[in-house]
Amino acid sequence: MSIHIQNVSKAFGSFQALEDISIDIESGELIALLGPSGSGKTTLLRILAGLEGLDEGAILFDGQNITNVSPKEREVGFVFQHYALFRHMTVFDNVAYGLKVRPRKTRPSKEEIKKKVTELLALVKLDNFADRYPSQLSGGQRQRVALARALAVEPKVLLLDEPFGALDAKVRKELRRWLRKLHNEFHVTSIFVTHDQEEALDVANRIIVMNNGKIEQVGTPEEVYEHPNSPFVYDFLGNVNLFRGRLHKGKLTQGEFEIDVPTYLDSHDDAVGYVRPHDIQIEKEQLNNESVAAKIVHIHMVGPIVQIELKREDVDEYLEAEIPKEHYKQLHIKNGDTVYIRPKQLRVFIPEDYSI
Amino acid sequence: MELTLKKRKRNTIIPGFSLTLGYTMLYLSVIVLLPLSMVFFNTLSLSWSELWETIAHPRAVASYKLSFGTALAAGLINVVFGTIIAWVLVRYQFPGKRIVDGLVDLPFALPTAVAGIALATLYSPNGWIGQFFDFKIAFTPIGIVIALIFIGLPFVVRTVQPVLQNLSREIEEASASLGATRLQTFTKVIFPELLPAIITGFSLAFARSLGEYGSVVFIAGNMPMKTEITPLIIMTKLEQYDYVGATAIATVMLVTSFALLLLINIIQWYTNRKFNVQ
Amino acid sequence: MTKPLEVKQESSISIRSGATKSYALQESAFVKWSLITISLVFLSLFLILPLVSIFVTALEKGWATYVASITNPDALAAIKLTLTVVLIVVPLNAIFGIVAAWAITKFSFKGKNVLITLIDLPFAVSPVIAGLVFILLFGAQGVFGDWLFQNDIKIVFALPGIVIATMFVTFPFVARELIPLMQMQGITEEEASISLGASGWKTFFLVTLPNIKWGLLYGLILCNARTIGEFGAVSVVSGHIRGMTNTMPLHIEILYNEYQFTSAFAVASLMSILAIITIIIKNIIEWKVKDV
Repeated sequence: MSIHIQNVSKAFGSFQALEDISIDIESGELIALLGPSGSGKTTLLRILAGLEGLDEGAILFDGQNITNVSPKEREVGFVFQHYALFRHMTVFDNVAYGLKVRPRKTRPSKEEIKKKVTELLALVKLDNFADRYPSQLSGGQRQRVALARALAVEPKVLLLDEPFGALDAKVRKELRRWLRKLHNEFHVTSIFVTHDQEEALDVANRIIVMNNGKIEQVGTPEEVYEHPNSPFVYDFLGNVNLFRGRLHKGKLTQGEFEIDVPTYLDSHDDAVGYVRPHDIQIEKEQLNNESVAAKIVHIHMVGPIVQIELKREDVDEYLEAEIPKEHYKQLHIKNGDTVYIRPKQLRVFIPEDYSI
Repeated sequence: MELTLKKRKRNTIIPGFSLTLGYTMLYLSVIVLLPLSMVFFNTLSLSWSELWETIAHPRAVASYKLSFGTALAAGLINVVFGTIIAWVLVRYQFPGKRIVDGLVDLPFALPTAVAGIALATLYSPNGWIGQFFDFKIAFTPIGIVIALIFIGLPFVVRTVQPVLQNLSREIEEASASLGATRLQTFTKVIFPELLPAIITGFSLAFARSLGEYGSVVFIAGNMPMKTEITPLIIMTKLEQYDYVGATAIATVMLVTSFALLLLINIIQWYTNRKFNVQ
Repeated sequence: MTKPLEVKQESSISIRSGATKSYALQESAFVKWSLITISLVFLSLFLILPLVSIFVTALEKGWATYVASITNPDALAAIKLTLTVVLIVVPLNAIFGIVAAWAITKFSFKGKNVLITLIDLPFAVSPVIAGLVFILLFGAQGVFGDWLFQNDIKIVFALPGIVIATMFVTFPFVARELIPLMQMQGITEEEASISLGASGWKTFFLVTLPNIKWGLLYGLILCNARTIGEFGAVSVVSGHIRGMTNTMPLHIEILYNEYQFTSAFAVASLMSILAIITIIIKNIIEWKVKDV
């Protein structure tokens, strides 16, 4: 089912939770709503489920306006961060709940319910846990029950609110992979809220980055990571080095450092250059004044990528660089060495319209 | 004791274990345990037939039925209305809510005798409320039920209220998004969550009602076989210096109360074990 | 002081009122107002009207009669006796409550749960039985009866009897407020204090007491209310001697049984005012604790 969110605004008292949000979501997409806490992502999800009303705007499911449709008629599966399982019911009864509460006319027979629940429990690999109570399950198992419960009503949209937020790192990784697999099988339009950029990049087809009740950027994981269109997205997705300098005749200067930024030929402003750690080139000799001297402070060498902390010699600032291990071995550098660093790719933003 | 004490000394640096525990045991024994044990010792001095004659006397049996029946009726009424009141106080906003919330504690704070004479006057045939009814309320079992409703209400409200307050909103939202109506959400999701608290509240109110004296004697009428509650029988026997008889009846009441106390503990233990996250 | 609470309530209203009109998440206005009405009617019939009627009946025959009723020598004697009982019972039970809570929450030992249950025991005992047990102990035919008689010590039908029976009935109040509170607070602060060199007493007064002061006060006012109002147990052991062993509730009973309704309700109104004050203090403490 496709979803159209049109000019949605929502305020809680004087707090503007959402401001004029518009997004179109295609049928079968797997979307991550990514943002810091208070960015409005959970509010948006709850509005989609009908758990929260909206002040302005409209929600369309498959072209139909469902803004005023109650949550029970939206055919939406909602998975809560803290599972919200019914603790006085067994796993089986939890999953069967959505089918049992249907009006008699549309309610499946007992046998059908049993068959369906058994199938779902097999799908989430909890076949042997049907008679357990939620308190007897681990966090990951509970979240799988919550998912099975949401899927039992055959929702047209699956909404997940920080589904893995309360789980430990290992289980989280496993469930992520499993959610993607599930989505590949069912192709139900799914939207999940997360504040974990890695999770969003790892699982989603498309990421909606939110901040302060507004959408910052929408795009595939690659797009938002490689081409952030705002300082916020740069900062929120992955590590970044800042070069706070001045723009002058198409060059960004800071200390002894100077780099061409042809897009800003006319600007004469304070500006900040954003460089990902893996876009920092380390050389042993200075080639031109696009590179600058820095002293190696710390080398962190775990896994295939070597992280290097550097202190610039011209100004009192620290930088972080990441280089592949092989490259590191060729360089023959160690703590205390002076090297020359050069940004391979740098994006400049003029800092009047944001603050970090 | 000696053994546990030594073990503790190695484990904690906080002083005063033997002093505080000793004082607690002493005070508890002198004020509560020793006096209470007198009831059982005195009962033991009776022969079985004597004991049976006293506790199975028709007047005593009638009082058990009355005390039990009225406590049960009042408890059930309080369960229904106490739960509604708790719900209203937690979920809704309305003018004067704070005052109403505070008033629920009135039966805890108001002396029972004061409540007794107020209720007796109010529900007597020409009282403010009694005049509107064709049948007698005060001086009948209905009057006793009314006094016991007064006494028991806060037990139900104050046990259900915090549970309702801490109930996560999410389970209701989950239920609604799974297609349940509000009524289904209440009966299938909310009510089962409240049930242990409701049962506990009922048991507390019931136990208190069985032994209640002050608020009941004024409104009961105290007619033997008809409106004479069990604590009143003990009182009457005492006034006639029939200590043995009073003690025998007291034994029946104590055993019942302790059984109830045990039941409450078992319910709480059971629900904790079954539903609570480790 | 109460502000945070109100802000919270307001925000929860706005969440719901701004929401789609969906009866799947909330009851309809009809259901809501029906439930509120039912609650208010029920509370009026059983709590509010009785309370109001006490004051109305007390003032029925005018202010002068009211004042005369409560300044009557027997009434004054009853008030004085009740205050005496309060002054003895409440501090003793408070000390016990603190000591018991210290033993139970600061140390671990076998049989702790049994001890907690035993402390709660008086709540499960009818007040009449609470009186009876002291007759069995100290009455003329009681265990210590002969000895007391020979040494000319009066317990039953005198102040000591009233005090000890009241102590039995109000025994658990302070302890049961403090035990859960102190259990929650744990022992780390006390351990820190003692490891810094403070004595046990210093630790108690400087660390523990400030932490439990609201819970203690809460227990104290509940204990106080019950001590003032205890009827059944005191009725058994007092002997109903006018001007001597009549507490306020017993005095009310006598007046009522002699059909002196106005006087009975006048004294009752005094006790009702105390009850209302108790409720107000209780609520203030609850707000204070919420704020912290």
